[in-house]
Amino acid sequence: MLSLINLSVKYGNNLILNDASLTLHRGESLVLIGESGTGKTTLAKSIIGLGDGQCSGEIRYRGQNLLLMTGEEMARIRWNRIAMVFQNVESALNPLFNILEQVAEPMIEHGLLSPREARSKAGDMLKRVGLSTAHFLSYPHQLSGGQKQRALIAMAMANNPEVLILDEPTSALDPVTKKEIIELLREIGKKCALLVVTHDLAAASSLAERTAVLYGGRIVETGPTGALLSDPRHPYTRGLIRSYPDMNGTKDLQGIPGRLSRPEGGCPFEPRCTQRVGICRESHPELGEAGSAPGQTGGRMIACHRGGIVPLLETRGLSTAFGPVRALNRADLTVFEGETIALVGESGSGKSTLARTVMGLHRQSEGEIYLEEALVRKRDKDFYSKVQMIYQNPAESISHRQNVLEAVSEPMDIHRMGSPAEKKEKVKRVLDEVELPSDDEFLMAYPHHLSGGEAQRVAIARALILEPKMLIADEPTSALDPSVQAKVLRLFLNLQEKRGLSIIFITHDIALARKVSDRIVVLKDGHIIEDGPTSAVISFPGHPYTRRLLAAAPALQCGLSNGFPAYNEKCLSI
Amino acid sequence: MFRLKDSINYLVAFLIILAVNFFLPRLMPGDPLAAIYGEEALIHLTPETRSELINRFALDQPLGEQFWGYLSALVKGDLGYSYYYNDAVSAVISRAFPWTMLLVGTAITISALAGSIAGMESGWRRGKWTDRFLLTGIMFLEGFPDFFIGMVMLIVFGVVLNIFPLAGAMTPYAGYTGLAMALDIVKHLILPAFSLALVNLGGSFLLARNTMVTTLGEAYIFTARAKGLRDRVVRYRHAGRNSLFPVITHIGIQFGRMVTGALFIETVFSYPGLGLLIQRGLQARDYPVLQGVFLVVTIMVLVTNLFMEVLYKKIDPRLKPCISTTGKKLRQTV
Repeated sequence: MLSLINLSVKYGNNLILNDASLTLHRGESLVLIGESGTGKTTLAKSIIGLGDGQCSGEIRYRGQNLLLMTGEEMARIRWNRIAMVFQNVESALNPLFNILEQVAEPMIEHGLLSPREARSKAGDMLKRVGLSTAHFLSYPHQLSGGQKQRALIAMAMANNPEVLILDEPTSALDPVTKKEIIELLREIGKKCALLVVTHDLAAASSLAERTAVLYGGRIVETGPTGALLSDPRHPYTRGLIRSYPDMNGTKDLQGIPGRLSRPEGGCPFEPRCTQRVGICRESHPELGEAGSAPGQTGGRMIACHRGGIVPLLETRGLSTAFGPVRALNRADLTVFEGETIALVGESGSGKSTLARTVMGLHRQSEGEIYLEEALVRKRDKDFYSKVQMIYQNPAESISHRQNVLEAVSEPMDIHRMGSPAEKKEKVKRVLDEVELPSDDEFLMAYPHHLSGGEAQRVAIARALILEPKMLIADEPTSALDPSVQAKVLRLFLNLQEKRGLSIIFITHDIALARKVSDRIVVLKDGHIIEDGPTSAVISFPGHPYTRRLLAAAPALQCGLSNGFPAYNEKCLSI
Repeated sequence: MFRLKDSINYLVAFLIILAVNFFLPRLMPGDPLAAIYGEEALIHLTPETRSELINRFALDQPLGEQFWGYLSALVKGDLGYSYYYNDAVSAVISRAFPWTMLLVGTAITISALAGSIAGMESGWRRGKWTDRFLLTGIMFLEGFPDFFIGMVMLIVFGVVLNIFPLAGAMTPYAGYTGLAMALDIVKHLILPAFSLALVNLGGSFLLARNTMVTTLGEAYIFTARAKGLRDRVVRYRHAGRNSLFPVITHIGIQFGRMVTGALFIETVFSYPGLGLLIQRGLQARDYPVLQGVFLVVTIMVLVTNLFMEVLYKKIDPRLKPCISTTGKKLRQTV
C-alpha cells in the first residue's frame, strides 16, 4: 500500500538516506530499527512530506507518488490517510490548547465534522486510548509523559488514517507506561498499518510482524521480527542486538567497533564490519533474498556482499577414533564469524578431541571440515594463520627456553614474515592489545618470570599475532584465579568486538560459558546432544544431561537459588 | 483569577512609589518649599501665601504627619497647585492625560499589530526575500530618532503635501461637534501616531520574528503541519500564538516608557499631552506639575503591568490555575 522506491534524501551534500526501498502492506506493522543518525526519522518525515532535505526516488501511496504532489494534495493525504506521532512527546502538543481541542482540530480543519461533532468524537478517541474524562480539557503541561503520548496517539487516530507512523513512541517512557503504550499500539495495529521507528528492540519485538534494519541511510536487513532478532544475518543487526540489554540475554553487552560514517560508494557498514572484503568498499550491496536456514519461514532480505554473517568453520559428521574408542562421533558444528561457541561437557566428553581434530592434532576418521566454506584437505600455513589455539596450561604451552619476544614472534618466523625490527614492532602492538607491558624488560622475560595470568596473555598474544579469524581456547582460564580470569574473558570479548574473532571456548564451567558465549554446544560421550542460543539452553535445557550440568554449575549460595538473603527480606515484606 | 496576594504586591509597590515621590523633594537640602516649587516661584510669594503653603503642606509638622497629609490630599485628588498654569495640578494633568493616552494607545496598537504580523510573516519565510526586505527596512527605520521621523513626516505630509494639520490635537475654536470633531481629532492624530509607531515597530517586529523562528522548530509545529492544516492555521493558530508572549511583554514595558517617550513627538507636533507638559514644566521649573506627571506615569506603569498579568493568564493556560469543567481542581504545575 505504501512503498518507498529508492528513496534518497540529501541535506546539502550529506546523503542521509541512500536508495532506501521498503514496502508496507495494508494492515501490516513494520518496525524500522537502527542507531541514532542512520536516517530513521528522516525516512518517517519524508513520507509525510515534512523532511527538509532534497528527496529523490519515489514514495508510492496507493499508486500515487507522494513526492510529486502539490502542497494542497499532500495536505489532504496528511492525517486523513497517513498520520504521524512525533518523537518528542514533551513538545509535540501545542502548550496553548487543551488536548480535546487538539484532537478535534484535524477533523474540523479537514472539514470532516462540525466543531461540535468533532469535539464529541475527540472525546471518544481520548477515552479509547485510556484517558479519563477529567483530563480532556487539560493542557499538555498538566499531563504526564504517558498521558501525552496517549493524547498524541488519539490525535493521530482522529481522522482514521490507513497508515500510522510512530517515531520512537516509547523512548521517553518508563517501562510500565511503555508496556501499556505498546499494548495500545498493538490494539491500533489491528485497524491500520503501523510504521514504527525505534531503537528499542524490545518494543520492536512486541510490536511488529516485520522489521527492517536501517544503517547509514540504507536498509541492510528485513525480515519477520522474531526470526530477525533471534537469528540476525547482517553483522550490523547482530551488533545492535549484542548492544541491547535484554532480560533474556546472558552474554555481556558488546558494542559495535567504530562509529557511524557514510562512505560514498560501497557498503555503509564496511568501515565497521569485521568480515569486510575488497568488494565491500567498492560497491554497495543490493538488498536480496537471504538463503534461509532450515526451519525458517523465508522473507528475509539482506544487503551484504558476503551474504550475511559468514560461517567461518563448519564440521560435517566429524568423527575421531582412538583405536576402537570413538572419542568424537559425527559432530556437526557451525561457527559463524564473530561468534563465541561454548563447548561444555564433563571431562572425557570429547570437547578437547573436537578442538584438536579441527586443529589437525588428531586425525579425523570420518567427516569433513570446512573453513570459510572451503573444504580443508590439509592443514597448511594458510590454515594456521586463520585458526589458532590456546591451551589450558599457559606455563606449559610456552617453551621455557623462549623469552616473551621469541615466543610471541615464533609464528611469524614460521610464516617467514617481516624483518626483525618489524616483528618486534608487531609483538609490541599485540602485547598492548592483550594489555601486557611491551617494554624491553618484559620482552626479555622467561615464562617462569611470569604470573599465570601474564603467561596466558602471552599465549593469547602468540595466538593473535597472525591475526587469525578463529581462536580455539581449551579451558583457557581454568588455571587462573577469578579476578585474572575475568580480565582474560573481558579481553576475549573486546577482541571479538574489535576484530570479529570467532571463538570456540571449551569449558566445563557453564556459569562461565553463560557470560561469554552466543551459543552453547553440549557434548556427551563424543556426541553433540544440545546446540542452541546460550540464553535458551540455560533457561530451557532440553537434554537431561544439560540439566544435570546446570544443576552442578557454580552459584554463590547467597544468590537467588536460596531465596533472598536475610537482610533483603525486610524490603520484600513491605 | 486575580488573587489577593497579587493585589497586595501592587499596593505595596504603589505605596513605595508614593513615598519616594513624597520624600525625595523633602530630603533635598534647603527649603522644602524651594524644592517643591523652585526658587523662582518662591521669589514671587507673599508671606501670606507662603504661610498658607506651609500650612497646606503641613511643613511645620513632623514628617510622618506630613506624609499623612500628603496621602489624604492625594485621596481627595489634590496633587498640588501649579503657579505656571495658575491651576490645580490635577486639572492640568487631566487635561493632557487623555491626549497622551490617545496618541500612545494608537501608536502602540499600530506598532504592535504591524510589528508582530510583519514579524511572524518574516519569521515564517526566514531567508526569503520578503524576510530580508522587511528586516532591512524595519531596522533602517529603527535607526532614526523619533523626532527626526516626526519632522520628516511633518515636512512631507504637513508642509509639502499639506494633507494633515501641522500642530495641536484639534482645530481650536472650530466648534466642531460629533463626527466632525472626531474626524478632526483623527486628522491631527495620524502624523504623530504614525511617527511614534514607526520608530517603535522594530522591537515588536524583531521579537515576533525571532520567536517565530524558534517556535517553528518545535515538535508541535511539525505535528500541526503533519495534521494537514492549512498554512495560515499553522502560522497563526499554532506558531503565531506561541510567539506572541514576548511581544506582549515588550508592549507592556513599552507602554510605560512611551508615555514619557512621546515627549519628543509631542513637542514636534505641539501635541498637548503629558510629554509636552513635561517639556514645559522643565522649562518653567514647574515642579508640582512634573511631580504630578511622574506620579501619573508610575501609576500607568503599574496598571499596565497588572493588565499584562491578567492578559497573560487569559492567553497562556500554563499560568492559569486549572479547574476543569467538572469543577474538580486538577493538579497544578507551576
